[in-house]
Amino acid sequence: MDYTNSAPAGLDLSKLSEKDKHELQQFVINEAQKTRIQQTVHTLTDTCWKKCVTGTIRNGKLDRNEETCAQNCVDRFLDANITVIKHLESMRN
Amino acid sequence: MDNLSSNLEPKLDTKSAIMDQIRQEAAMTNARQLIEKVNEHCFEKCVPKPGSSLSSSETTCFTSCMEKYMATWNTVSRQYINRIQKEQGNSAASSVF
Repeated sequence: MDYTNSAPAGLDLSKLSEKDKHELQQFVINEAQKTRIQQTVHTLTDTCWKKCVTGTIRNGKLDRNEETCAQNCVDRFLDANITVIKHLESMRN
Repeated sequence: MDNLSSNLEPKLDTKSAIMDQIRQEAAMTNARQLIEKVNEHCFEKCVPKPGSSLSSSETTCFTSCMEKYMATWNTVSRQYINRIQKEQGNSAASSVF
């Protein structure tokens, strides 16, 4: 991505009203959170695809087993995450 | 009326222009990442031994695989968002997410 181009040409931020600035700030915070969540979904899909879609591809549909597996995969991955964090916290003491 | 006057105005207002650009870049990043992953995983599944060209069965496999990967993405997304909402309901103190 071309970050050098990230300030839209001809747009003067200093001309924004205080209200618009606030609105933009909130918008950026929301978008950043959305991006973070999407990012995690990408990582989780990557992991769970490897775990759950093991056979040859026959059609474009996700079958029952695979869907259940993907759902469990997400929940167990997050459980594992919490377990790791809890254990780390206990090691601090 | 608002729409009418902004149509007449050749330049979009600064705030909306910035928001549009952010939305567009976020969508691009998301799409690029999805394409990258689909390519990676479906190449693995559909082209075990690369030949001199992509055969028609490999192409068919790619189409199915792509749909399947997106279906997985949607399932994972739904499950993850459900989980976040559940965790937030359980304890606001949880800082894991």
